[in-house]
Amino acid sequence: MSAMTIAEAPATPLLATAPSPAKHVDIRGLFAYYGEGRALNGVDLRIPAGEVTALIGPSGCGKSTLVRCINRMHEEVRGARVEGEVTLDGHDVYDPAVDVVAVRRAIGMVFQKPNPFPTMSIRDNVAAGLRLTGRRGTRDLDERVERALRDAGLWEEVEDRLGHPGVSLSGGQQQRLCIARTIAVEPEVILMDEPASALDPIATLRIEELVGKLKQRYTIVIVTHNMQQAARVADTTAFMLDGELVEHDTTERIFTKPADQRTEDYITGKFG
Amino acid sequence: MMAQGRATFHHELADLEVAALGGIDLVAGQLDRTLEALEHQDLELAALVIGDDDRIDGRYLEVHQGVLSLLALQAPVASDLRLIAALLHVIKHVERMGDQCVNIAKILPLAGPPPPRTGQLTGRLLQMGHVARSQCEKARDSFAARDVLAAEDLVRSDDEINALNREIFQVAVGMGEDASMREWAMHMTFVARWLERVGDGAVDIGEQTAFLVTGLFREFSDSSHPVT
Repeated sequence: MSAMTIAEAPATPLLATAPSPAKHVDIRGLFAYYGEGRALNGVDLRIPAGEVTALIGPSGCGKSTLVRCINRMHEEVRGARVEGEVTLDGHDVYDPAVDVVAVRRAIGMVFQKPNPFPTMSIRDNVAAGLRLTGRRGTRDLDERVERALRDAGLWEEVEDRLGHPGVSLSGGQQQRLCIARTIAVEPEVILMDEPASALDPIATLRIEELVGKLKQRYTIVIVTHNMQQAARVADTTAFMLDGELVEHDTTERIFTKPADQRTEDYITGKFG
Repeated sequence: MMAQGRATFHHELADLEVAALGGIDLVAGQLDRTLEALEHQDLELAALVIGDDDRIDGRYLEVHQGVLSLLALQAPVASDLRLIAALLHVIKHVERMGDQCVNIAKILPLAGPPPPRTGQLTGRLLQMGHVARSQCEKARDSFAARDVLAAEDLVRSDDEINALNREIFQVAVGMGEDASMREWAMHMTFVARWLERVGDGAVDIGEQTAFLVTGLFREFSDSSHPVT
């Protein structure tokens, strides 16, 4: 994929009226390393467009590494490297001609711990990504900030205090603020690395409801240790173990009759 | 290494299976007494069968509550979820099979003693009962062993029961001119029907064995659309 192709993706209208621009991700023969240590061992995975795909597995199985490879965050770690192929709708994310910033705009990421910019207001947190991608018109920015906050289910809670610091919000609100910041730049894929693990049950429920709405427009990959969360929000679920993808199937199938005994043993708590 | 909480859960689930399959043993015991009461016109034993149904009903409530607790507290998945779903069906069939024994026990005093020369019909009823009892054992053992082939074999003995049921009906129809004899025979067709239902319950439990192992529910035989 050329950098221009990703960067010039057309602006999309409001969530409620927009056709889905979601794109599928194909991962083929992916190996990831931290120095000499191998974290991923030949992963093949097709992530369907416009669906939620959950990655589950014990700690250290490589699921976070896998999502970080999808938007090339993995290479930011000193000594880390990747072999294999990741494509977004058939376009190679690792093509040397591709601008990594454009990749990360097209494939946004939400992290485990809410990480709003501490010195910025609510409004500026959402606008930060837009400014970085060159959208500087105040009116355009305000519209996009409002749209992103509405889509993240946060607008009605913050519309009268947009100038307040982002860190003044509750943990759950901060995480939705980070989701608003991610979707403000209109990505095609959203990666979520345990987005609710630091939140209370009510805030977790809000995030899960939000994921259900966002999949109308975005392809979503969610890493979670909470198997009930995977069962609630994901259309398909992939089980990873020791850097390998053991099984990927519909979530219903995985949680009622998994094909692989290792999946069965993990989700029924026989190991882990 | 199994997490401690899941180890406790799996012990509780295993105990629940023992309780549910033990319900089949209770039915088998009830069936033994029912057949003995039928053979010997022992109305006191029949009354005991009626009273003892409370034990099966109690077992139903115990397993039902256990299923609800594990669903609510443990969020079971995969084979654990299938087992819990199957146990809920098993215990429901057990409860109904116990009720069939009660139906038979209740009708014995109404039917009265068998008229002369009706041994052919009584003999077939007892034969049905013994096949049904062996079906109960087979349903229990195949479930415990997760043996789908053995569970599917329940259909074969069920065919035997069904054939006996049809024979009994024909014998009853030809019972002759005496009204009291015909009335007794009609009561016995009910008994045959209830024994046949006990056998059906065993087959239904066998179908749960297949579901538990394969994850797919299928009827072993389609009685709604029989092959002609």
